[in-house]
Amino acid sequence: MILLVDMDAFFASVEQAYHPHLRGKAVIVCGDPSRRGVVTAASYEARPFGVRAGMPTAEAKRLCPDAEFVEGSPRKYVEKSLELLELFLTYTPDVEPFSVDEAFLDLGKLGARGATREAAIAMAREIQQRITDEHGLSASIGIGPNKLIAKMASGVNKPRGLTPLDEEEFRRLFWPMDVQELWGVGPKMSEHLKRMGIATVGDLGRAAESQLEQSFGLIGPHLRNAAWGRDQTPVIPYHEGVDPKSMGHEVTLPEDCREDAFLEGTLLRLSDQVARRLRGDGFVSRTLTLKLRDFRFRTITRQRALTVAVDDHLAIFEVVRSLWRANWKGEPLRLLGVSAGALEHKGEGEQGELFSTDDRKKTLQAALDQVRDKLGEASVVPAGSLMHRGTSGHVPFGAMKRKDPGSLSREARKEPGKP
Amino acid sequence: MFESLDDPVDVLTSFVDGAMRPLRFRWQGRVVPISKVTGQWNRREGQSVMRYFAVQGPNQETYELCFDPRGPRWILNRAWSGPG
Repeated sequence: MILLVDMDAFFASVEQAYHPHLRGKAVIVCGDPSRRGVVTAASYEARPFGVRAGMPTAEAKRLCPDAEFVEGSPRKYVEKSLELLELFLTYTPDVEPFSVDEAFLDLGKLGARGATREAAIAMAREIQQRITDEHGLSASIGIGPNKLIAKMASGVNKPRGLTPLDEEEFRRLFWPMDVQELWGVGPKMSEHLKRMGIATVGDLGRAAESQLEQSFGLIGPHLRNAAWGRDQTPVIPYHEGVDPKSMGHEVTLPEDCREDAFLEGTLLRLSDQVARRLRGDGFVSRTLTLKLRDFRFRTITRQRALTVAVDDHLAIFEVVRSLWRANWKGEPLRLLGVSAGALEHKGEGEQGELFSTDDRKKTLQAALDQVRDKLGEASVVPAGSLMHRGTSGHVPFGAMKRKDPGSLSREARKEPGKP
Repeated sequence: MFESLDDPVDVLTSFVDGAMRPLRFRWQGRVVPISKVTGQWNRREGQSVMRYFAVQGPNQETYELCFDPRGPRWILNRAWSGPG
């Protein structure tokens, strides 16, 4: 049996646990509440007002003006997530963190203790109780014979739900539902399926495999299997690790903006953040993606595959900037994002250059990384990323408060790429 | 609502068995006794580890304190200043 432990309104619940006066109140976790941004999480008390994660903070304030708006602290949630992981590991070594607030627990190797549905339910109840007693939080748990069913069962009854399903119960529950309810089917795929006459999970289960294969290639048969509640994906234990598929950063701008220098500076800052993460974790990337969201909330993403894998901010910035220049039509922008995909371990498949011309660049990069590792991210940043308006919020990582942006040198203003 | 402050504060601190614990702090001319530490987390800033504490005052009001070892110094990051 497999459990999926899904923390209820995790970020908001951690704030409520750490700040008892927030308990029982509508809590909305966001960026700096005095600036523009989006809702990161909403407590269950805020949800009846229609507040949802991803919604602009201004809209959340309109819907739920009496809510407590709390600036989120990612480190706080990551640390709590690691503490919860320790708790799960007391039950089974086969724990796969699926996100900061979800984890799969495979009970398959526990023998009789985890083999039956009853044993799994008892264990899940105990885990829920310990999460409440030891951390002041709540979780919903799905139980199933595989990851797919456990994951979908966890969402059936929230908060504090405990839902065991076998394959037959899964089909009885989900087959009448919209096909988009199936894990892995997003809005675009759902539209595609509906154009094919497949509206429900049951329709997908009854669809001809050849038809699905023709439309979706290799994943076609997987989709059909998923509709039947079949999934062979193993739980990959924490200690074995799973390489990330991508690394990215995005930022909602304080106000809609169409200033070239400001937007390029922001892209440089995002490229630098992505590059630091790549190098920090020992990866290089072969695919870069630019994300733009305009003032009408229209989002476009543009991607470029690279012939040479990269991990330095200037190489990333050059590609992202060219994508930006080719795709930005001058409309005011609300959000910018940069992400690196097709990750490879550094050194893997890299073609060594016989006569490297950029050894000095690499040495400089390594030295700069050492400085930042020691003194913090804001200690050295590309000068161009400081080419913003005079608000401290634009300073990279928010760590350095500069009141006089005019004190930047003229050279720094002219050369956005230089560190 | 929470008020962002980032005010330097004096904090009476205990160190017992390697665990650090703020006991009371002086802020705006008054001493605030800490009745409970409700949460703790860390954040790296280069090689330095900033230690954060969510704490409760005598009237259930809450604060977030940060110990910055680079000073070393204590900062009062946030305080809850009552509803709305």
